Amino acid sequence: MTFALAVTVGALFALGTFLLLRDDLVKVIWGVTLISQAANVYLITLGGVTEGTSNSVPILADHHEPFPVTTDPVVQALVLTAIVISFGMTAFALVLSYRAYQENETMDVTEWDQ
Amino acid sequence: MNDVIAIAPILMAFLTGTTALLVRSFPRLQQIVSVAGTLGYAVTVATLVWRVVFASDAMSIAYQVGEWNAPFGITLVADGLSVFMLTITAVVAVYAIVFSVRFIDYRNQRVYYHPLFQFLLLGATGAFLTGDLFNLFVWFEVMLMTSYVFVAFYGNSSHTAAATRYVVLNIIGGAFMLLGVGGLYATTGTLNMADMARTVSASGTEMGPVVGLSALVLVTFALKAGLVPFQFWVPSAYRAAPLPVVAMFAGATKKVGIYAIIRLYFTVFGNATLPTTVPGIPSDSLLAFLAPVILVMGMSSIVVGGFGALSCDSLDGLFAYSSIGQIGFIAVAIGIAAATTVAELRHVALLATLIFALHHALTKGLLFLATGVIRDAVGTTQLADVGGLGERSPVFASVFLVGGLSLVGIPPLAGFFGKFLIFDAAGRQFAAHVTGDTFGAASAVVVLIVLLLGAVLTILYSTRAWMGTFWGPQTDVIKTGTVDSIEVLILGTLAVLVICVGLGFEPVYQFADTAAEAAVDTDGYVKTVEFGGEGA
Amino acid sequence: MTTVMTRTTARVVVPIILVVAISLFLQGHSHPGGGFIGGVLTVAAFALIYIAYNLDYLEDGVLGREVEKEESIGEHRTVAAYRRLFMFGLVVLVASTFSGMLLGDPVLSQYHRSIHLPLFGEIELASALVFDVGIFCIVVGGLLTVFSVVGAE
Repeated sequence: MTFALAVTVGALFALGTFLLLRDDLVKVIWGVTLISQAANVYLITLGGVTEGTSNSVPILADHHEPFPVTTDPVVQALVLTAIVISFGMTAFALVLSYRAYQENETMDVTEWDQ
Repeated sequence: MNDVIAIAPILMAFLTGTTALLVRSFPRLQQIVSVAGTLGYAVTVATLVWRVVFASDAMSIAYQVGEWNAPFGITLVADGLSVFMLTITAVVAVYAIVFSVRFIDYRNQRVYYHPLFQFLLLGATGAFLTGDLFNLFVWFEVMLMTSYVFVAFYGNSSHTAAATRYVVLNIIGGAFMLLGVGGLYATTGTLNMADMARTVSASGTEMGPVVGLSALVLVTFALKAGLVPFQFWVPSAYRAAPLPVVAMFAGATKKVGIYAIIRLYFTVFGNATLPTTVPGIPSDSLLAFLAPVILVMGMSSIVVGGFGALSCDSLDGLFAYSSIGQIGFIAVAIGIAAATTVAELRHVALLATLIFALHHALTKGLLFLATGVIRDAVGTTQLADVGGLGERSPVFASVFLVGGLSLVGIPPLAGFFGKFLIFDAAGRQFAAHVTGDTFGAASAVVVLIVLLLGAVLTILYSTRAWMGTFWGPQTDVIKTGTVDSIEVLILGTLAVLVICVGLGFEPVYQFADTAAEAAVDTDGYVKTVEFGGEGA
Repeated sequence: MTTVMTRTTARVVVPIILVVAISLFLQGHSHPGGGFIGGVLTVAAFALIYIAYNLDYLEDGVLGREVEKEESIGEHRTVAAYRRLFMFGLVVLVASTFSGMLLGDPVLSQYHRSIHLPLFGEIELASALVFDVGIFCIVVGGLLTVFSVVGAE
């Protein structure tokens, strides 16, 4: 499972980087979105996909036995925040790209006048 | 003790921003709210400075939000370093907002300018005060989100390309920071900076990942600060945003990057040691490992910024490049502080960093706003089109001259002390290595030469800006344009402030001294957070 | 997109989405869910209506009011309502942030208390819900403003 997640993160980053380097603005924004998502998946893997113990979940370090069945909640909270932020950013980037299209009449960033 | 004064600046900016949004149908009222709120912000910052630095029982204050104790809740910490940065921000913010009311086109101000400005201020303030690494990321994003809007929607159409680049670059930067912060959490098991400092100085933490991850975070900080090789967004974004906001960018947003570097690497990782020594690096601390990187970034920024400014044909572009160069000076000072193992030299270098940051915020703020006056008067900032403004408005010329001279570093202006201290630190670094260590001495000489080159370049481009704008025969646009006397009056007080900082340097020095001490005082920082809150 | 198929699907799906959104929103303070998720789901429901019908459908078909044609989308009555919702959310958020302070506790302090309702059983009342209401309103108001303005272009 960890391996699968690692492959997913790697693939997302690779694809995101590839799209970022294209000259179509929409693809660039897709790339940005993918990289943000890759970062989120990476955060999830940090929490581990096994049941948490006092060793793997820092917030349980001072907790008494028995441990609740849980994974690391801090990671989940971080991802939630990161998702909200990247959501807003993506929305903004899309609106911006629309405006850029209106003004330059092309989505090809290499054809923009500087 | 959970003293609310520690987060009063954040609350003030938040409240003002929200109120300004609520009264958006009444533009005049909105302006009043915004200016009053910024003044109130300055007052809270002043109170905080008094409580943390100057009062007889001065101490750092921690605030546990929502009574969730550290290290689980979000802790906000006001120590010497934070309040020093807040002071810079407050001064720049007050001038920027007062100037905005006069400068920005009334219709453009109407709906969202003031709320956005307050939220920009909020983001910077939060970043300076937070004691939690992930929270720092969130404040960064708050700050960025507003700056996107300023860059994207207040410029004309050609600036949309600049804005797109800026947005894409910073989203990638944000993802990098997320990776770094998440990794640091996985390695150290905490996000609280004080707790992290404790963990990394204790033995048993694997330091290998920490080095790599902190380097990843450094990328984002350098991107915010606009250091080479992450500088390319600066000129176009600065040309696109409204000039008072650019003053904020140069004075506050960039300083957030600088502050984050100092806070994370000196306060949090200052005591961390690596298990292996790296060839060519004298000590085994994490700082010494990063020092060459920061030094090279700083030196290339000085060179790129200097030559860029020399070749730029418009005033705002010139100052944008100059801003890259000046941040380079700051980074070199940080690099010297990181490279050394001598506590005294590190203190001097950090002191130089902070004084230079203060000078840069004031001086660059003055110059960007002055560029605004020129654009208002003649409608252009192209050096080829303006000229002979000195004859037309001698008062404005003298205000500009103060800024230019301070940038160059003429005593007794604010800029002199910043530059003097940086050269002092570089000289001491050379002196420390001059016997025995050839490699160290050689690198110190290179640093000195680059600093000297940077100083010469600063003189050249300041002269170019001055001669191009104020001397020579009056061009047609200058003859017809009128300089707004109220704008000049506002700038005049800022110029007086620049002079005053230079003349009454003693208290400023004391303040920066406390801040520089707080920057390396890891134990004090940990103590403030752990025992500052109730029963943590 | 206003085909019979999308319209029929929307009729069935929208109520379900709204109910899920509300339940996610209400359990937010101690379970997965909360203002943001609830808000986004609500927006999804509205977006579906916009796609299947149009912007004026809510005012015209549901509320049965006359739709005035405004000159720009920014002054449209629906959009103005969304914007007001956004403001309202922000105010709730600020109020909830500061309310802890008025009671002498740190900013953002939260309280909760369990109460027993007849027939319904034990439910937990948390002041965090107020904060969530603020977030919910901001998300719904903000996103729908963006949707309708950009969608109208």
